Amino acid sequence: MNKLRLGFFKYSCCMGCSYFFAYVHKQVPEVLASFDFVFIKLLSRKGTPEGPFDIALVEGAITEAWQVDELKMIREQSKKLFAIGSCAVIGGIPAIKATMPELEVEKRVYKNLSSIHSIKPHAVDTYVKVDGYIRGCPPAERDLYEALTAVLTGRKPDFPEYSVCIECKLKGNTCILIAENMPCMGPVTNAGCGALCPSMNRACYSCFGPMKQTNAPALAKKFKAMGISRDDVIRKFTEFGADTIEFRKAVETYED
Amino acid sequence: MTGERTFQKFKRLISKKAFLLWLDSLKKDYKLIGPRYYRGNQAVFKEVDSSKELFMEYESAMLSPGKLFLYKPQEELFRFTFNETSNPPSPPFSKRGMGGFSSKKITVDEIKPDMAKQVIVGVHPCDVNAILYLDRTFLGAFKDPHYEARRKNTLIISLNCTHVGGNCFCSSVGAGPFLHSVGGYDVLLTDFESEYLVEIKSREAEELFGLEGRGAGRDEMRFKAEKEKAMQGKFRKTLNVSGLDNIFAENMEHPVWQQTAEEKCLSCSNCVMVCPTCFCYDLRDEMSMNLKTVTRYRCFDACLDIRFAEVHGGNFRQSRAARLRQFVAHKLDQTNQYGVFGTVGCGRCITWCPTGIDLTEIAEELRTKN
Repeated sequence: MNKLRLGFFKYSCCMGCSYFFAYVHKQVPEVLASFDFVFIKLLSRKGTPEGPFDIALVEGAITEAWQVDELKMIREQSKKLFAIGSCAVIGGIPAIKATMPELEVEKRVYKNLSSIHSIKPHAVDTYVKVDGYIRGCPPAERDLYEALTAVLTGRKPDFPEYSVCIECKLKGNTCILIAENMPCMGPVTNAGCGALCPSMNRACYSCFGPMKQTNAPALAKKFKAMGISRDDVIRKFTEFGADTIEFRKAVETYED
Repeated sequence: MTGERTFQKFKRLISKKAFLLWLDSLKKDYKLIGPRYYRGNQAVFKEVDSSKELFMEYESAMLSPGKLFLYKPQEELFRFTFNETSNPPSPPFSKRGMGGFSSKKITVDEIKPDMAKQVIVGVHPCDVNAILYLDRTFLGAFKDPHYEARRKNTLIISLNCTHVGGNCFCSSVGAGPFLHSVGGYDVLLTDFESEYLVEIKSREAEELFGLEGRGAGRDEMRFKAEKEKAMQGKFRKTLNVSGLDNIFAENMEHPVWQQTAEEKCLSCSNCVMVCPTCFCYDLRDEMSMNLKTVTRYRCFDACLDIRFAEVHGGNFRQSRAARLRQFVAHKLDQTNQYGVFGTVGCGRCITWCPTGIDLTEIAEELRTKN
C-alpha cells in the first residue's frame, strides 16, 4: 500500500507541536495507518530529512540562517507544506524579541556572543509559500485533522478565519470582556481553540495569533479605557503576535 | 404555537407561588427552560430542574432563548458513510477530489428532528418578536424541518418587562416593553407584585393550565395599561424610524461607515452572535480520520466574518466598513425583506460590542449629516 510520505520539521520552538502530533497519532490509529513517517525527530532517530514528501509539517519560528536554507530545500521537495503551531504560523513566543534590536537581546542572555548566529525571528511563510496554517499553541486538534484529511483526499483544507468570539458564543458563554471586565483578546484572535480559556472564565491571551484584517488598535484603546497599564497592553499584543502586522499596529498606536 | 389564530380564553390573576408550582408540574412532560441568575441583572437561559432556580426579575440575557432552543447555535443535520469491507482505501484517491469514492456504496444517516417537548418561561417581548422574525425565515416558503419540529413542541411563556435597560429601544420599534403581537406564543405574564396577570393565548396552554385564581376584569387591564405607560417613559435610548429605509440607501458611502470601522469595529462578530434576529448559518462538513464518515452540521454564521461574502475569485465585502454596513443595514433597513425591521430593539449588539458601537447613533448620524 502506498502510504503518504510525511516529514515533520522542527525549528526554534518547544517541540510541543511534535509532541501533540505524537499524542494524536497514538489516539487515532488511522493517522499511523495512512502515513509513512519518513522524518520526525521526536518519534524516531532513524528518520532521514531527504525528500520527496507528500506532506511536510513545519513547527517553530525561523531564527537562524541555516534554518532558512533547510526550509527552502524542504519546500522544494514537498507537495504540501503546512506551518503548524503559533511559532511557525506567526512567529509565536520566539518572536517576542522581534520588537527589540537583535544585539540587545543577545547581550541580555549570553555573556559570550561568539557562538550566537541568530537572525530576526520570522514565521515560516516569510521565507516559503505554505499551503495552510494549523494555528495554536498547542495546535488545534480539529485543524490538524483537517490538514491531514485534506491531503489524504486531495482537497483544499478549510481552516477557520473568524474570531474566538464566534466560537465562544456558539458555546453559550456569557462574554467575560463585557460582563466581568476582563482584558480578553478573543475579539482580535483567530478561532480554532473552541474558546478554551473564556469557557474556563479566563481572558483569552491570543495564543492563536491575530485574526486576518483585525482591528487591534481599537481593542488596545478599549483596554486602555479599562485602566490597563501601557506596558501590560503592549505585552498582550507582543506575547504571541510581536511579528505580525496586525498586532504591531496596536503597539504602535499605543506609543504615540 | 405557530399558525394559531387569535385565541383568548381567559385572563386571570394567579399568585406567583401557585404559578411557579404549576410550572413544576409541567416537568413531567416538558423540559423546563428559563432565565437563571448570572450576575447583576443578567441571566442565562438554561434548562432548570425546578422553578426555584428561575430568576424572573432579570433585565436581560446575552443570548436570546429563540437562538438557543429553537434555532440552535450548532446542530448536526446528517452523516454519510462510505461502506467498505476492506481496509481504509489507499491514498491518494483521486486527483478529482472525492471522485475515487464513486464506485463505493454510500449510506446516509439522516438526523431526525428533535421532538422533545419544552417550555420556555420568562421570554421578554423583544425576544418573542425575534422568534416571530425567525419564523418568517424558517417557516416561510421553505420550512426548515428541525426548526419547525422544535417550534411545534415548544410552549412559550412570555413575561412583560419590569425594567428598562440602558440600551433598550424596543418601544421605538414597537417590540416592547409589553407584548402586543397577535399570536406566536402561548401565555403572557405581567408582573402584579405578588401575582401574575396570566393571559392564555393558545389552545395547548389552555388545556394545560389548571389554575383558577381570580378573574381579571376591566380594572386589572387598566392597571396593566398604566404600568405599560409608566414603562414607556423610562426609555433612555430611542430610534427615529421614520424614513430609515431611504436614509440607508442614500448613504452607502457615508463617512460614518469608514470612520466607525477604523476607530471602533473589530469585526469580531459579537453583535451578530448575540442578535436575536440574525438567522444566517453556515454549513460545514467534517470528515473522520479514517475517511469513512462525514458529518454535515450547520452553525451560526456572521456577516462580520471576512469569509462570509467570499466566493470563487473574490470577496464582495472585503473591507470591514462594508461588513459593518451590511449588519447595521440589515437591522435598520431592508424592511422590504419581511415588511418589518430586522431589529427588535433589545440593544444586545450595543451592550455586548467590545468597543460600544451603537447602531442607533449610526442611524442618527446618517440622518443629521444627510
